[in-house]
Amino acid sequence: MAQSSMTVKKKKRRINAVSIPTEIVINIIMILFCLLCVVPFIFVIIISFTSEESIAQIGYSFIPQGWSLDAYKYAFEMGYSLWRSYFNSFFITVVGTVLSVLVCILYSYALFRRDFKYRRFFTFFSFFTMLFGGGLVPTYIVCKQLLGLSDNYAAVIVPLMVNPFNIIVMRTFFQSSVPEELIEAAAIDGSGEYNTLFKIIIPISKPGIATIGLLNALAYWNEWYTPMLYIRDKIHIPLQYLLMQLQRNMEYLAKNSAAMGADAIKAASEMPTQSLRMVLVVLVVVPIACAYPFFQRYIVAGLTIGSVKG
Amino acid sequence: MSKTITKPAKAMKKSGTMTAKRKKTLMLLTMVAPGAIWLILLRYLPMVGIVMAFQDYKIYTKDPTFLNNLTHSAFVGLKNFKFLFATSDTWVMIRNTLGYNALFIVLGLVISVTFAIMLNEITHKFVAKTYQTLMFFPYFLSWVVASYFVQAFLDPTRGLLVNLMESWGMTPIDFYNDCGPWPFILTLCNIWKNTGYSAILYLAAITGIDASQYEAASIDGASKWQQIKYVTLPHLKTMIIILFIMNIGKIFCADFGLFFNVPLQSGPLYPVTQVVDTYVYRAMMTTQNYGMSTAAGLLQNLIGFICIMVANTIVRKIEPDSALF
Amino acid sequence: MRKKKLLSLALAAMMVTGLLTGCSSTTDTTSSSSSSDDTSTESTTVEETSTEDASGTTASGLDISEHVTLKWYLHGSNVTDDSAVMEKVNEYLGEKLNVTLEPIWGTWGDFDEGSTLAINGGDNIDIYFTCSWSADEYNQYAKRGAWVRLDNPENNLIEQYGSDVWAALPDVLKEGALTDGVDGYGVYAVPGFKDFGTQNTWDVNVTLLEELGYTLEDVENRSYYEFGELLQAAKDAKGDDFYPLNVEAMVLERMVTNSVIVNGDSGTCNVLSYYIDPEDVSKDIGSTIVNKFGTEEYKKFVEQTREYYLAGYIDPALANAQTANDTLMQKQKSAQYLIGTQSYALGYEVQTSAERGIEVAYVPCTPPYVDKTSTQGAMMAISTASQNPERAMAFLNLLNTDSYLMTLLEYGVEGIHYNLNDDGLVVFTEERDNYTPWRNGMGNITLLPAQEGEGKDFFTDVFIPYYSSAKGIPAFGYVFDPTNVETELAALANVAGQYALALDAGAMDPETALPEFLQKLDDAGMQSVVDEANRQLEEYLATQE
Repeated sequence: MAQSSMTVKKKKRRINAVSIPTEIVINIIMILFCLLCVVPFIFVIIISFTSEESIAQIGYSFIPQGWSLDAYKYAFEMGYSLWRSYFNSFFITVVGTVLSVLVCILYSYALFRRDFKYRRFFTFFSFFTMLFGGGLVPTYIVCKQLLGLSDNYAAVIVPLMVNPFNIIVMRTFFQSSVPEELIEAAAIDGSGEYNTLFKIIIPISKPGIATIGLLNALAYWNEWYTPMLYIRDKIHIPLQYLLMQLQRNMEYLAKNSAAMGADAIKAASEMPTQSLRMVLVVLVVVPIACAYPFFQRYIVAGLTIGSVKG
Repeated sequence: MSKTITKPAKAMKKSGTMTAKRKKTLMLLTMVAPGAIWLILLRYLPMVGIVMAFQDYKIYTKDPTFLNNLTHSAFVGLKNFKFLFATSDTWVMIRNTLGYNALFIVLGLVISVTFAIMLNEITHKFVAKTYQTLMFFPYFLSWVVASYFVQAFLDPTRGLLVNLMESWGMTPIDFYNDCGPWPFILTLCNIWKNTGYSAILYLAAITGIDASQYEAASIDGASKWQQIKYVTLPHLKTMIIILFIMNIGKIFCADFGLFFNVPLQSGPLYPVTQVVDTYVYRAMMTTQNYGMSTAAGLLQNLIGFICIMVANTIVRKIEPDSALF
Repeated sequence: MRKKKLLSLALAAMMVTGLLTGCSSTTDTTSSSSSSDDTSTESTTVEETSTEDASGTTASGLDISEHVTLKWYLHGSNVTDDSAVMEKVNEYLGEKLNVTLEPIWGTWGDFDEGSTLAINGGDNIDIYFTCSWSADEYNQYAKRGAWVRLDNPENNLIEQYGSDVWAALPDVLKEGALTDGVDGYGVYAVPGFKDFGTQNTWDVNVTLLEELGYTLEDVENRSYYEFGELLQAAKDAKGDDFYPLNVEAMVLERMVTNSVIVNGDSGTCNVLSYYIDPEDVSKDIGSTIVNKFGTEEYKKFVEQTREYYLAGYIDPALANAQTANDTLMQKQKSAQYLIGTQSYALGYEVQTSAERGIEVAYVPCTPPYVDKTSTQGAMMAISTASQNPERAMAFLNLLNTDSYLMTLLEYGVEGIHYNLNDDGLVVFTEERDNYTPWRNGMGNITLLPAQEGEGKDFFTDVFIPYYSSAKGIPAFGYVFDPTNVETELAALANVAGQYALALDAGAMDPETALPEFLQKLDDAGMQSVVDEANRQLEEYLATQE
């Protein structure tokens, strides 16, 4: 049914679509904003192809004086460690996203249920942790010494698994898209709680779930701080941390150069170049940008997704 | 949303006995369990460490485990909080933190809701998808990388904007030494980075709206504007309020990278870029005192907590369905 | 039925998580010795071994009958594969001390967070790198109880197991290691024998200088205040985009005003100054510590720098903390400068001339001198969390006196990471890229064979004489203890961050900014910090007489 209505819309404008001038204005605003968003990335790509001499001469520029592939060559010569960290990032993101979405759905669905006896308690229980935490040292102790999260994939996945913000957002999605009559009806039909959730609620909550999934995937993909704390070997390093390592090495030497003196200058002169850092940014961004449309399929389905008919 | 929600209690009575009710609670508890266990282990357990805020934290040399260190460290009262108020610039950093956050919350909300609605109105879904993908790009770039980009425009010698001003015969602004334009630049950067992210939350909520509601409204002769006003916005209300409350909780915490990296840590800009987080960071670089950083964090959270409780209470009075808890 | 299915689903999910941890820890144990599998070693570092050790004690009377794993946290390394090295190291150490070494290769970027978390959280790491500039600052953490006092009268580890390394170290380093820690005034770490002298120099692009019709003498005979003519000549010749004065502003300030860092002062932004005589660094010119920014010298310096800045001699990028160092290095590498600043290390002329493709000369501002900060540049401390401080000391003793072990750990395995050329000098292979510890961050570098380009007897003929000639500054042993004024220092660091760099680089107008700056320093409690520092200095001087 959805398909047939789609084909109709392609020929004719939707009945209640905005007027054509309005839509043009909307498009212009969108295009301008999108340019603002994309140009910096193009800028990054340009820097990644800029020769070192040009950066030394005129700094970062949209029109460099010279081009070079050296940084890419250098990056690909990193070989194993680069590909390994690529794999790690993928693995961590996929497994982490699946697990965290699952936990988030379960938790927020219970919070969504008005007839859940401890609803308010558990809402507060998760929300409270959004504000208060024990700080770095105690969290580190619990993760490392108590849970053994050190030098393994779990060390990157577990610390990010639950996010109170996502739980509350997911609960709000349920509130705004799932009619409670549906749950009642299912209960009357004798459907168990898990059955109702997985067979009835989840299929109609796809936009919300896809959104939470996307946010989780992004969080996992972008994470570098957790691996910095818990990963000391070279086998489990994700890509984003590999990038941050270079960045932080530079910053550290800059910060301490006055105290370190000759040592810092010598060490800094062995650091990778500016353009290499941009190459790594490109390598980090491209895969996740490619994965984005996958989630988007569910999010921007727009009005074409029929909601539940009571 | 229709107001005809039947109270679940009715269904309960129908389905029967106390055991069924208890069974349901039990099942729902098993759903909460994985998350709750995680929260206990990774969030509540470490809260023991909050006492560090009131301690002169020392390592217990005989058996230096964390708990031993905690129990053997001396309490110093509120000493660790003092550094936040030890300078004549305390007011500046509080003003900046609260001011920017208030601005970001309001502007962010208006812009992302507008963008979400606009995206939803675009006829060609492919175009809308493309816009949305592109809008998300800034989210992938760290503030450090963003700062290079900003610098390409503002650099005093080679910046594009500076060159442009020169070619127009204007005296170029020395951006990294002139506080004037920075509130504007920082706000722009914030919108640039976060709009794509929050618009998607609202867009997903809009997507959940039953199409028949629009059709019904349209048949009743409602204009597009009226449809937005009477169908879309009421539907988004819960999401708007929830996100608003949650942002209020972070009112005393600033986006560190935005205020630290984007102005290139330039000293002369401190009057408009110094926020609580940057102040604490710079203080920590000097003292390496965990008690002090814990104290600062605790204060930030406490203020956020109070703000949230106030906001939530107000919301619960007016709009009980949208309250956070 | 359905519920059962779901339950098994949940179980499966849990098993997946379980598998993740399980599976990765097995890869750990099978991979290399570098991957520290904490879960298994956390509870017991001392492992029972079979009674194959017949001897059981070393020459120094250390009981080595039990096998021990030592964890060692290093700084600044770039190591991706240490398996070949560690295999040999552990074979050797197993024989000598019945020890397995597990290095943790901290990098520049993660050491500060990693080490301080490990120390404060009580991780069972035996030996930490420490120094006067990293986050696990030697003096501060000695006071907080992180390090074992090595010359503790009740259990003198140095005397018992570290006499060899102690005999091998120059006196100035031993004195530099003295600090007021949790167990009294003494030694809390073994200092590394590295380039411990400080000498600030003008980094001169001789090629350009001669192009402009000047000679090196023109720089040598001028003070900073007379550089204007040279800089203008370069600016005229090279155009608007050329900034002849390529400086690290904070270092420049110390060079021009002849001040030294006060050990224990607020890390990145120093607020205290101690002045020395540029001709004779050890001469006592009245030991007091002052507010660096309140002096006449400072005022004169920032006014001159402002003039140079406005004349376009200094790149504005050098005035932002974030871009300063990148810019500085790029300009050095591409030789886009006339005069710069450099903290000198031996052999730099040759190295940098080759790198930059110009003739570089370094014109010293003072003879090399030794202060507390430079002697604490790289040290190894034994953690109070260590279960085996005796064995750790014995290891440090061996490392700093045994050329084979030091070379192995530092340069890697001969034939894999480096080769010796016909003159017996070290030439690195490509494999070295996967194993590059920080040379100065390990220990006694004079044990190492010289590298190609350094010359055969580099350490004995050049290195040791140069650094032995370095004299200590007056009040050399003084360490400022910031404990009582931490609150003030935290606020001062922020005030100094706002003004110091911008003033030192000339980006701020001292006419208006300097009085404002001084006022804010005052508000933040500058005077009480200076008073506290001087009180401690007087106390120290009293004990010296």
